[in-house]
Amino acid sequence: MTERIDAYADLIVRVGANVQPGQTVYVAALVEHAPLTRAIARAGYAAGARLVDVRYVDQHVYRSFVEHAADEDLTRTTPWLMARTEALSDGGALIMIAGDPEPELLADLDQARVGKARPVDAMNRQLKAQNARTVNWTIAAFPTEGQATQVFGEPDVERLWEAIAHSVRLDEDDPVAAWREHVERLAARCAQLDEQAFDAVRFSGPGTDLTVGLLPGSRWTGGGITTAGGVRHVPNLPTEEVFNCPDWRRTEGTVRSTRPLSLGGTIVRDLEIDFAGGEAVDVRASTGADTVRAQMDGDEYGRRLGEIALVDGESRVGQTGLTFFNTLFDENATCHIAYGSAVTFGIDGIDGLSPDELRERGINVSSVHTDFMIGGPEVDVDGITSDGKAVPILREDAWQL
Amino acid sequence: MATLTPEDRLARYAELAVRVGANVQDGQTVFLLTHVSHAPLARALARAAYKAGARYVDVQYRDQHVRKAMIELGPDETLTYTPDWLKTLAHATSGNALIATTGDPEPELLTDLDGERVGRAQMKELSEIVREQMVERSVNWTGVAFPNEGWAAKVFGEPDVERLWEAVAFCTRLDEEDPVAAWRAHTARLESRAATLNELKLDAVHYSGPGTDFTAGLLDDARWMSALFHTASGIEYVPNMPTEEIFTTPDRRRAEGTLRSTQPLALLGDIVEGLQLTVKDGKIVDVQADKGADIVRGQLASDEGAASFGELALVDGTSRVGKTGITFFDTLFDENATCHIAYGFGIPEVFDGEPGEGMNVSTVHTDFMIGGPELCVDGITRDGKSVPILREDTWQLPE
Repeated sequence: MTERIDAYADLIVRVGANVQPGQTVYVAALVEHAPLTRAIARAGYAAGARLVDVRYVDQHVYRSFVEHAADEDLTRTTPWLMARTEALSDGGALIMIAGDPEPELLADLDQARVGKARPVDAMNRQLKAQNARTVNWTIAAFPTEGQATQVFGEPDVERLWEAIAHSVRLDEDDPVAAWREHVERLAARCAQLDEQAFDAVRFSGPGTDLTVGLLPGSRWTGGGITTAGGVRHVPNLPTEEVFNCPDWRRTEGTVRSTRPLSLGGTIVRDLEIDFAGGEAVDVRASTGADTVRAQMDGDEYGRRLGEIALVDGESRVGQTGLTFFNTLFDENATCHIAYGSAVTFGIDGIDGLSPDELRERGINVSSVHTDFMIGGPEVDVDGITSDGKAVPILREDAWQL
Repeated sequence: MATLTPEDRLARYAELAVRVGANVQDGQTVFLLTHVSHAPLARALARAAYKAGARYVDVQYRDQHVRKAMIELGPDETLTYTPDWLKTLAHATSGNALIATTGDPEPELLTDLDGERVGRAQMKELSEIVREQMVERSVNWTGVAFPNEGWAAKVFGEPDVERLWEAVAFCTRLDEEDPVAAWRAHTARLESRAATLNELKLDAVHYSGPGTDFTAGLLDDARWMSALFHTASGIEYVPNMPTEEIFTTPDRRRAEGTLRSTQPLALLGDIVEGLQLTVKDGKIVDVQADKGADIVRGQLASDEGAASFGELALVDGTSRVGKTGITFFDTLFDENATCHIAYGFGIPEVFDGEPGEGMNVSTVHTDFMIGGPELCVDGITRDGKSVPILREDTWQLPE
């Protein structure tokens, strides 16, 4: 057990965040993630970190906050959280641990408040740093009983551990070498897609006929990214996607989510969204529609897309056949899109632009970023060239390029 | 009260800490300084604080294992480093409420580390800010313990958390029909003892017992008081739950003799046993112990004032903590079982002069226990007369 968790922590520190000697490592975890957090602290110092600064969040305390806080305080950022966010944004290494131990803890609360509650200024600052590539960051998951119960119907943490270990290639003899190879394969896919210079991507399948416009000159990203200071890191463990920034003005049609989505303490099921002129004009779901609507209405641009990502059937996450109820995994099982803030790693020359200037170029800016899954064997994905031709990208979950 | 469910007991405990301990005021931010392993109590405290009208409850979870990694593997300068955001947080505590939790789940976690590094690992600038706030009396705060398996195992030799909970509930008067009323009566009695001592206008206190012959000079402009505190803005609060002590801050320049601690001391992740100190001209000049002497030495070397005395506290045999007969290996409890003395920072609440003139200044403050039935405590008046204060654990002055 100890060996596996130490190997995992090492992968997170050395491949995920790629912690550099002398850096401060900021860890964001839930109290239930303490065993992995402790292993990361050891691995962080072993990698030469100056300080490992852990911020534990407690969902139960957060629940009391959502229940009792004054309306205007729900979106407040405390000065000390802002100070910490400023510090990590300026050259820190950031490790975020996912894995919700009680995914439905907030389900009985007022969903408008649940959707609204978040420290807006701190989140914007962090998103800005991630997009400006001034922080080497990663997200990795820790298996908890609550999540295991949700995935398997019983608290089989060991089975969840095995699924995660497979997904992040911890079951390889040399996980670091396996990651290197994997990252190169994703980079090659990005190169193929960039060569085609598609104008849009179209998804079609049961309940879905959606066209997402792309931005000229915006490159596809996959595997890893490099900070402005030259530190190569892998933002998600696992990662199976190649993704791009859509034009927030050019999404048309209807999309039906193919997997449940864990969002702010509730589960959104059977999500369907109609888009017109880039905007989500109607949101339906069998559960959790209110949470999605409240989140989208958090600011003026929450209803616009910020990410489009492609994943094929070779995905290790997809191979497990599991729904993890955790976006980090589920988004890597299949194709997905995100409403809210744009991912801009593939766009050059935008450093220092104001939110309005970014939006003018078709890049969405919002304090929201929520991925939801729309892919699967029944969903065809085509690239649309600038002269309107359709080029198959995915058929029955197989990569066509 | 045996009918209380564990959930009810925890909720009642949290309410006592919030309403009597920190005495959280409407609209205050409440800072919880706690450990990952104390999450159930932290959650109950957060609920109770919001119910009491808190604007926001901020939880800072500490993790002893992360700290261990820092001491073991981190660079030297990190040992005493305070991140800027934590300074921002500490400053924001002024005018607000703070609740800290104790109850170490792994009291010997740091035993195998370099004792000198363990002793030195302390956020210097943070301690400085907290010290200023104590002088300003700008924070209504309290400390409460969370019974847990590791702590219970240390106390009883087995992880009997329920037995520890019962002891904690007894010590904190949770077993009373109306704990809030019981606390009012209790603090009134302690206040009256402090008043009696103040009327005597003592010049010094003398301790004698096995291995102990020690005199500490008192200050003209310092008082004896009980642990019923007031912030500068007038909020009444009880910083320790339980509390059984009457205490003052001594003259840092006048202390002489030898001291032998009568109980083990949990300090910075380790246990100090059989502590013996030699004191000359107000300073600790020699430290001996059966175990953990290096940690004490490391702490005493952390700044100029660390080796001088900051607190004298008197506790008699009526103490509920003492009555349990338990060594809790937690200063919050053990210091309330019996008399104790602290080296390091003094107590601004009881001192009218400028800190540094008479009252000791340091970034450390460590209480160790020196009491019990074999210890005699006498007050020395200005004309050199001895006035018995404690004999065989019994209070000798009128109440």
